[in-house]
Amino acid sequence: MKSQAALKINSTPPKVLTVAVAGNPNSGKSTLINAIAGTRLQVGNWAGVTVEKKEALVEYRGRQIRLVDLPGTYSLSPYTQEEIIARDYLIQARPDVIINVVDATNLERNLYLTVQLLELGIPVVAAVNIYDEAEQKGYRIDTGLIGQTLGIKAVPTVATRKSGLDELLDAVLEVGDDPAAHRPRQLNYGTDIEAAAGRVEQRLRELRPTAADNYPAKWLALKLMEGDRDVLGELDLPDHGAFREVLEHLKRAHGEDLEALMADARYAQAAGLTREVLKKPEVSRVELTEKIDRIALNRFLGIPIFLAAMWLVFKLTFDVSSPFSDWLDKTINGPGKRLIEALMGLVHAPDWLVSLATDGVVGGTGFVLIFVPVIFAMMFFLTFLEASGYMARAAFVMDRAMHAMGLHGKSFIPMLLGFGCNVPAIYATRTLENPRDKALTALLIPLMSCGARLPVYVVFVGAFFAAYSGTVIWSLYVMGLVMAVLMGILFKKTIFRGEYPLFIMELPPYRLPGMRSLMIHTWEKGKHFLIKAGTYIFAVSVLTWFLLNLPWGVESKRDSYMGQMGAVVAPALQPLGFGTWEAAASLITGIIAKEIVVGTMGEIYIPKAKDEPQEEPPSLGQDLKEIVVSFGSAAKEAAENIISFGSGKFSTEEKEKSKPLKSLLHKSLTPLSAYAFMAFVLLYMPCMVVAVAMRHEFGSWKWFGVTFAYQMTLAWLVALIIYQGGKLLGLG
Amino acid sequence: MSWTDLLLAGGIALGALYLLYRSIWKKGGHCYGCDSRTCPTKPGNKGC
Repeated sequence: MKSQAALKINSTPPKVLTVAVAGNPNSGKSTLINAIAGTRLQVGNWAGVTVEKKEALVEYRGRQIRLVDLPGTYSLSPYTQEEIIARDYLIQARPDVIINVVDATNLERNLYLTVQLLELGIPVVAAVNIYDEAEQKGYRIDTGLIGQTLGIKAVPTVATRKSGLDELLDAVLEVGDDPAAHRPRQLNYGTDIEAAAGRVEQRLRELRPTAADNYPAKWLALKLMEGDRDVLGELDLPDHGAFREVLEHLKRAHGEDLEALMADARYAQAAGLTREVLKKPEVSRVELTEKIDRIALNRFLGIPIFLAAMWLVFKLTFDVSSPFSDWLDKTINGPGKRLIEALMGLVHAPDWLVSLATDGVVGGTGFVLIFVPVIFAMMFFLTFLEASGYMARAAFVMDRAMHAMGLHGKSFIPMLLGFGCNVPAIYATRTLENPRDKALTALLIPLMSCGARLPVYVVFVGAFFAAYSGTVIWSLYVMGLVMAVLMGILFKKTIFRGEYPLFIMELPPYRLPGMRSLMIHTWEKGKHFLIKAGTYIFAVSVLTWFLLNLPWGVESKRDSYMGQMGAVVAPALQPLGFGTWEAAASLITGIIAKEIVVGTMGEIYIPKAKDEPQEEPPSLGQDLKEIVVSFGSAAKEAAENIISFGSGKFSTEEKEKSKPLKSLLHKSLTPLSAYAFMAFVLLYMPCMVVAVAMRHEFGSWKWFGVTFAYQMTLAWLVALIIYQGGKLLGLG
Repeated sequence: MSWTDLLLAGGIALGALYLLYRSIWKKGGHCYGCDSRTCPTKPGNKGC
């Protein structure tokens, strides 16, 4: 805000204006707040990104404004978690002003919520957002007439370009400073409804004289007519029978379903207003979104296109990231390790402490850090798909498959989030209406291959399938999806019997995401892995080192506590092709977080490789020069991979085999058992953080217990089928 | 291994255990999208 600086000088602290930002999903609420406040609220081009209410404090013209970003809702009925959060906040907190973000390209549907907001009696400022796209479509919207008709302020905005924000905030201050002069107009829903509402209000005053102290009287009357269970409960009225006499006339004239009658009346208001204020071009051209959707949503092509899009994501991820991963590998295990050894030598650290730092911390945590470029690259491409609007289409095309599982396409959105990290995906299940859908979706989310599993795939694919890296990893993601569908069908026929609710999927228009926004959200998603590396992956690396070196002075790692634990579990993994104590120990520590599987392997195998003859170490100057030069080479190689699309692969077979861990893996595994191992890592129990998230979301360990039991069984069976089946087919 | 070494090793192991407890159990891990005041995995928040 260019006017902020000059107006920050204000000796008397003014009242903080509380402004709730409400609107339909995907109308750009979070983007608007981010544009105003410079915050980084999670934004995506699909419905349901803002599940909770979020806040940002801004200073404008010397005034403090607290912006509260409410979840996107289509109405204020108490059916979904988002609606309940938004409605409770508006009713209980009574903000000074509501900014109603209205999608200008979809005016009528957005105005349905506006009509309901007006019923609350709180001053409203409408941000008619995405105005540029509406203009591109040839729409002419009379925002002045919207304001006049509804008794509110209406301002055109383009949040992505920060356009119209000063005008919007000026309107907010004007309305907030004089709310009495800006009470929204109470819409007239027709003689019958208005008369009934008046009589309900009167009857309510007799039954609950103080009720109107806490709620707007007309809003209460309308909600009671709808039979709103929450409001009836709040007023301690068991049902709306108390108003039966009053509502008889209405029911005789319009039928029993008063809720539908009220919805119709509100839609009529929204439709009528839209006709007044919106002028569309006479000849509507086929828009780009429609053209793309004809192909992307085709019933035969939809799923293959989705699978191809995911394949492209993995292909590009590896083409871009692999040179940087190689560079990090060389830097951490070369100059990084030598620097630590030199520093510890300076303080005369004992040998065991040097080993803990180099074999434990660098070998474990450092080994996981090598895969940070891979994770960031994948988050970037997934964010691109989300922000472009394609992920909403992916949910749409999966709708039919979801119905087979007793779910609808909306459940696929949390599952898609699970490709990044399963933890936020578990929390995203709260966008689903009923507990059955929530629980079933949460049970299937851990089958979505999260970013934490990627380092495991990268190590094994690099060692055994370097020529087909993207395709092999893509096959594991598809395996997760197929298993989710199969398990969903099984659960539907056993513990989750019943009908699934109907749901209309929202399909936002395609948008080309801005690079800045992409980078911000890639960082927001990717930094999670850096935090993990600095906290529990670091902690587990240290503890694993102790377990690999206790009892103190143990000669062979096989005889250490970790080796003994691995040896106990290993026989169970023998039929799966990876019955070594090393593999078993890695899977045990991977329970904490899946990346730790490779961290532990790094600790177990790399010290063995260290025993091999070493060359004379280079000087510090040579190391620094090599770091800079090899980074330049990595950047060049990444660019070449992108340009020569198709030839890029994670690395060459020869290069991979030369790496210590991978050459050691070749001694104990075959490509077939390596694939079975990756399938096991994909499917076996979710990490501890997911367990904690499930407990938090469902209030008990019950659903995590079910997940644990079925995933361990599934992982074992699938790995068995892959290994034994592969051997029978002569692939072993 | 001297007593000093034993104490140091014990301290490091206990520190790692505490870090593990704090980051997973107490804070409920970390996840992207945790930038809100109501995020249940953020310390100090009581959930939604």
